[in-house]
Amino acid sequence: MASLAGKPEDRMKLWKGERLFQIGFAVLVAVLVLAPPFLRSYHKRLLTEILIWGLFALAFDIIYGYTGMLSFGQALFFGVGAYGMAIPILRWDLNLWVALLFAVIASIAFAWPIGYFAVKVSGAYFVIITIIFSLIFFFIALDWRWLTGGDNGLTLTAPSIPLGNWKLSLVDPLTNYYFVLALVLACYLITRRIVASPLGKAFQAIRENEDRARVIGYKVERFKLISYIISGAISGLSGALYAATSRYANVDFLHWTVSGDAVVWTLVGGAGTLIGPMIGSGLLIVFEDYVSSWFKNYPIIVGILVIGVVITAPQGIVGLLRERFGRKER
Amino acid sequence: MGQGSVGGYGALPQRYFVMDLLSQIIFQAVNGFVWGLIIALIALGLTLVFGLIEVINVSHGALYMLGAVLGWYMERLFGNFWLALAFAPLMVGIIGLGIERAVLRPIEGKPAMTIIATFGLMLIFHQSVLATFGGAPQRMREPIQFGFSIMGFGYPGYRLIVAAFSAATMVGLWAFLYKTKFGLWMRAVRQDREMALAMGVPLNGVYMLTFGLGAFLAALGGVLAAPIVTVEFKMGLDILIIAFMVVIIGGLGSLLGSVVAAILIGELEGIASVFINPTNARIFSLVFMIIVLLLRPHGLFGRKA
Repeated sequence: MASLAGKPEDRMKLWKGERLFQIGFAVLVAVLVLAPPFLRSYHKRLLTEILIWGLFALAFDIIYGYTGMLSFGQALFFGVGAYGMAIPILRWDLNLWVALLFAVIASIAFAWPIGYFAVKVSGAYFVIITIIFSLIFFFIALDWRWLTGGDNGLTLTAPSIPLGNWKLSLVDPLTNYYFVLALVLACYLITRRIVASPLGKAFQAIRENEDRARVIGYKVERFKLISYIISGAISGLSGALYAATSRYANVDFLHWTVSGDAVVWTLVGGAGTLIGPMIGSGLLIVFEDYVSSWFKNYPIIVGILVIGVVITAPQGIVGLLRERFGRKER
Repeated sequence: MGQGSVGGYGALPQRYFVMDLLSQIIFQAVNGFVWGLIIALIALGLTLVFGLIEVINVSHGALYMLGAVLGWYMERLFGNFWLALAFAPLMVGIIGLGIERAVLRPIEGKPAMTIIATFGLMLIFHQSVLATFGGAPQRMREPIQFGFSIMGFGYPGYRLIVAAFSAATMVGLWAFLYKTKFGLWMRAVRQDREMALAMGVPLNGVYMLTFGLGAFLAALGGVLAAPIVTVEFKMGLDILIIAFMVVIIGGLGSLLGSVVAAILIGELEGIASVFINPTNARIFSLVFMIIVLLLRPHGLFGRKA
């Protein structure tokens, strides 16, 4: 890390920040693993949803927070993942692992060619092209009722998970929760490894200065495409988990405004931090859960919050903490 | 939720119902032209804001919706559509001035942040209208009840007046840009920001006015369209996309290109809707737009920046 070269007191600060982060992360994981058996089943569901949407926000963070490409089209892959889960289970009666794999492969199969074209444009044009791609498939999905169920979507019964000699039932909220937690945690650790790798450094080089990265010799379009595909695959996985948990898939999942949620959560939590978007989605979903019972137009507050964050603290919660404790990476 | 379904524009009241194919095509051609002119107004606002402030205004559709909703309320209040047409866009324009000053100025020059901020604005407008106006679509009476007879089919007179009014507004906008001091400033800023500033152009004022003007045009389109379409809080989502299509095909920032592209899209989608369902027509125009984006990123009529 470049900041290691700093003054000794900076190094101390960095070490302190790193240590704090690790302690915080360990506590968070411990709570996520140990607490749910004591929660009511409504809260188990809520926590499961937070993890799934957190994963979706994490996928967005890779493309926006690390590679600097503002995409409003990630919901497309979320939707493809959800249908990639629902269709094999409903139509072909496949088991859960195969369906999950199919969902991820399907979202990669979408992300690759779409990304190939999308990364050819940048800036404002990239934002628009991602919205357009997501809309094209939204309308196609709306039209192809035989495949997607149109407005009504598809309802599926969550199949049990074959695990060696046992079969775990996803109908049980606790099993469902641990299933999701394991996958989300695995994804988080893998992406953390990716962003620290040379590949991740290339992403960040592009984010900081695209032209300079190109001049240095990075094949910018190729790295952008890789980032786009990774993000698409993880979005697809989160969509598949959502379909398995909520037991339905809907065309609305593909709509670009769903991507807006990920944008909001990422920004509030802290773009380019991986853990930030997950914290952001957790806070906002809990907030929504409390507020929506007495104020159903809570998105007004979300909108005001977003504008406030953009103006006063665009680095987000985790970004602010990093500044405070000196873990400088951005 | 059912976001963003494609409605055929101007599903006609029963009394205008037309039967044979040729009449349908002619009807759709006329209708596409009228609708294209309304779209042009809205897209002009979007492209003006992008060309000058370099903000992709995601809340532009919401401002159009706000115009329609305020227009609906005012028509109720005054019992007169024309008063609503005069005041609702002005109010939205003033809101636009406030938005530029309070929201966009602090994040000037950060494109990603401005896009996200305008997305936040869209949430606020959608939900505020949902809270007050309600979620149910409302219809607005056409202020002029008589219809014209063109080549054997009836056509609502109001829509022709809308077309004329839109065209007049565009001439007015042209006069504003080319014959007034503010217009000169705006064009100067668009050409060379730094130089304009050095020559004493009040940059902040120009930005504010530009965004206000953009909001005004969106709302004007909203009030004009209100008696033709149904008024509801989501009505702007679809328009936002059409406006994007227009400014991309016409070339981001190019005013004349936007007008031409708007009429082109109005005609294409209108006539296509005779033969295929509107959803498919929309898919085709979106694919067409992507091809334009990839092959001619400066639009069909735009010059290279």
